[in-house]
Amino acid sequence: MTRGRLRIRALVRRHHDQELQDELQLHMKLLEDEYRAQGMTEAEAQAAARRQFGNATQIKEQSHDLFAFGFLDDLFRDLRFAARSLRKSPAFAAAAVLTLAIGIGGNTAMFSVIHGVLLRPLDYPDPDRLVFLARENPDEVTSGRFSLERLDEMRTAARSYTGLGAFLAHPEDVTFSGNGDPEVLTAARVSANFADILGVRPVLGRSFLAEEDTSGGPAVAMISAELWKRRFGADPSLAGKTAILNSTSYAIIGVLPAGFQFPFPAVDVWVTRPAESSNLEPTFRRCCSPLFGFARLKPGVTLQQARSELNVLNERYATAYPNKRVYAGPLRLTQLKDQLTENVSTMLWMLLGAVGFVLLIACANVASLLMARATSRSRELAMRTALGASRGRVIRQLLTESMVLAVAGGMLGLLLARFLFGVITSMTAFDLPRAEEIHIDGVVLGFTVALSIATGAMFGIVPALRAVRPSVVDMLRQSGAAGAGTFGKRGKLGVSTWGMLVVAQVALSMVLLVGAALMMKSLAQVASVDPGLQAAGLLTMRIPLPATRYDTFEKRAAFFDELVRRIETVPGVRGATVVRKLPTTLGRLGTNLQIQGQEIAEPGHLGIALQSITPGYFRVLGIPLKRGRELTARDNTSGAPPAVIINESFARRFWSAYPGGEDPVGKRIKVPILDVGPLEIVGVVGDVHERGLTRNTEPQFYIPQWLYPPNNAYLAVRTEQEPLRSVSAIRAEVRAVDRAQAVADIRTMDMILAASVGQQHLATWLLGLFAGTALLLAMVGIYGVLAYSVAQRTQEIGIRRALGAQASDILTNVMGHGLALALAGVALGIGGAFALTRIVTGLLFRTSPTDPATFAGIALLFIMVALAASYVPARRAATVDPMRALR
Amino acid sequence: MGHRKSGELLQGTLPLLILRVLVPEPNHGFAIARRIQQISKDVLRVEEGSLYPALHKMELEGWIASEWGLTENHRKAKYYKLTRTGRKQLKHETGRWDAIAGAIAAILQEA
Repeated sequence: MTRGRLRIRALVRRHHDQELQDELQLHMKLLEDEYRAQGMTEAEAQAAARRQFGNATQIKEQSHDLFAFGFLDDLFRDLRFAARSLRKSPAFAAAAVLTLAIGIGGNTAMFSVIHGVLLRPLDYPDPDRLVFLARENPDEVTSGRFSLERLDEMRTAARSYTGLGAFLAHPEDVTFSGNGDPEVLTAARVSANFADILGVRPVLGRSFLAEEDTSGGPAVAMISAELWKRRFGADPSLAGKTAILNSTSYAIIGVLPAGFQFPFPAVDVWVTRPAESSNLEPTFRRCCSPLFGFARLKPGVTLQQARSELNVLNERYATAYPNKRVYAGPLRLTQLKDQLTENVSTMLWMLLGAVGFVLLIACANVASLLMARATSRSRELAMRTALGASRGRVIRQLLTESMVLAVAGGMLGLLLARFLFGVITSMTAFDLPRAEEIHIDGVVLGFTVALSIATGAMFGIVPALRAVRPSVVDMLRQSGAAGAGTFGKRGKLGVSTWGMLVVAQVALSMVLLVGAALMMKSLAQVASVDPGLQAAGLLTMRIPLPATRYDTFEKRAAFFDELVRRIETVPGVRGATVVRKLPTTLGRLGTNLQIQGQEIAEPGHLGIALQSITPGYFRVLGIPLKRGRELTARDNTSGAPPAVIINESFARRFWSAYPGGEDPVGKRIKVPILDVGPLEIVGVVGDVHERGLTRNTEPQFYIPQWLYPPNNAYLAVRTEQEPLRSVSAIRAEVRAVDRAQAVADIRTMDMILAASVGQQHLATWLLGLFAGTALLLAMVGIYGVLAYSVAQRTQEIGIRRALGAQASDILTNVMGHGLALALAGVALGIGGAFALTRIVTGLLFRTSPTDPATFAGIALLFIMVALAASYVPARRAATVDPMRALR
Repeated sequence: MGHRKSGELLQGTLPLLILRVLVPEPNHGFAIARRIQQISKDVLRVEEGSLYPALHKMELEGWIASEWGLTENHRKAKYYKLTRTGRKQLKHETGRWDAIAGAIAAILQEA
């Protein structure tokens, strides 16, 4: 309370005091007059009056009590009363607060995730004006990309943007060397005006100029604040500072602010010329560099208007370049923020809904607790009502108690949320976009407070209303066990309020459990997918060869061959191979090809995946050979007759009768980007889930790496012992071949595959946690209701036993009660689950959202849980001693 | 001063009595108590300790309103008068009292 308010209170109080004083004084004076009229002396009269009057202070106190100085006075009194009352029942208070903490804490944690990832606007000025441009066609082959040509065309033709730029669709690795050890950093290639479009200014130096973005222009770079601190000691002067990236010297012209995350997290270096991806040969860069576009809308231009303009431009482009159909698909425009998060938003909202259910269940539990408590206080409450406290006052008093519980629960819940949070963010297998932006900040705190208050009202209102019902007549009808009449009283629907709460709890828990079970089933399905290779015992790492030092195919091929040769001599290594990409990693290259003897069915770019491998690839990865032979060292020699191996999907695609019909082995393929004549198919291997366990396999062909060596390759080594223990030995070999070469992404194949389903794992884990908590709370709810019911009906049970009922009859009666509640809840829950699980269809893999086995299984589980929860109270009821009970 | 403690029953009905007594004209606390005593022929005596809290509570509920004025002897006194809500409350309380009294009478006759 502020001092100002205190002072006002005191003033008003003093005024009121004064008035009361005057009133009482008058009364005394009139009394004195009376006594004097009866014959007493003045002194006697005064004394008598004072005696008669009794304790004047007491009157004043009572008067104050009744006279409420408005809301604040009442509130404080209510709070004190609530605190006192709760202190008298610590077990109840602890149970209630803990239950609420679980419910509120879970919601706070989920909300902070949603707030950070989905709701908070991006950290740029006017972030709603930022848009993202990508090709609309989500086809597997060239998904979502945008080309340099279209960028140029749009820059001239489009009118809706203040700035339009592009960035290379994936981060690049650069080996950063110079002072100190070489290390691999993440680099982004962006248009020169990228910082201007976003509205971000460098903290040091300047941003790129347009002339620095042209082919052949100066080599300049901007770096992150973290890198600036780490490698350059945060030197306030940029003069002469250079970074040697992939053996080329770049002048550092600016430093970006800490925490800047565009276009990917953890980028340390930004360079210009987005189309010059070091992954592509120069000839392919202009047409085929995978770019994404982004722009800032002009003030006053709406998203809709920009989209209409884009449609027009799409049409124009399609007419002007008809044969570039594949690369010139229509562009679509979305808000930048949505683009970054679109694949997780369903999952996150679903989880928030789930944890919301948990809170509802928790509220039902606490409401039951409150009602149980109210019946034992009914006498006290009835008397207060009869003595003049209005019903409103009593309800307010009870609600205040609820609020105190809720706020206490909220505070404890906040602590719980922080803990849960720490656990979630430390789970390495998961990868949420904008994960760095998740904090427990002011908004989240505000949410927690609001939720606590709403919760308090929600669980408090029903018990409060019920508690003030008794009239004078009821109160006079007290019989032994206080308020025995109100418990289990059947309302209009023939069900007691308690019963309804339990049924609701069971229903909500059912929904969560079914959801969790479905997700677990889905994960199991994913895990049961044969990736097509032997993942265990495989160590992997990425080797980004700097394009400048390894500018020819020969140099790259020589490096990889030498590396594999050396590594295979390391003790404990069963085999090593170098390949363009590993299953579920980035780096897919799609090309055009033609089968000799087959018509070109689809003119244009086919985009069949090409893999460059060293001879031991299939053996090392454990991919089965189905026909023909593997590639040998001879195939991998420059000048050897070009051989190729295809996978079964490829065979089925081009020889529809496969495995019957024509044998692909022996046929020839012409691949334009390779500088050789037709390649002969020498073998067929099994399919591998290159694009993820949940996606179908696709046609793929494998060439010896000398034909088209990657400059960003993956090394896979099969080790005898635990893979990660061989890391230093392998790194030593890499350095032995090239001292300046760094490696990145050191992981085992198992880790790679696990990471590819990281989000589903997280979602399943969390949903399972929520469902388990819900089940526990529901169980406690059932137990509580039955236990209380039995305690209340002790007399009745005693009578029954005395009249000849068996213990087993009582047992079945009580358990029957519990079972009935559970069944009602299960039925409702099944209905609810049926309706709601459709929401997560997108997250399920090979699992139907209405999978009957799962539904049936969970229903059965719940019934067993309910029976278990009913057992203890039932036993207690059955062992009631009739003599004792009847007393 | 031999008055019996009328106890719980009176406490519940005190507001009813006060309301009734205020029907003819506004009055201050002392006078209200004296009138109750007088009309009931000394059967019901209101303790000051009950009177003023009741008056203040009733004022809070809006059944009576207060105003400072002067007594016949020019002394400052707080006068209470009946409000419209108060009249309604009076009717309500009277009805309840009749119901209870009737019930009690019936039982006494029966038993």
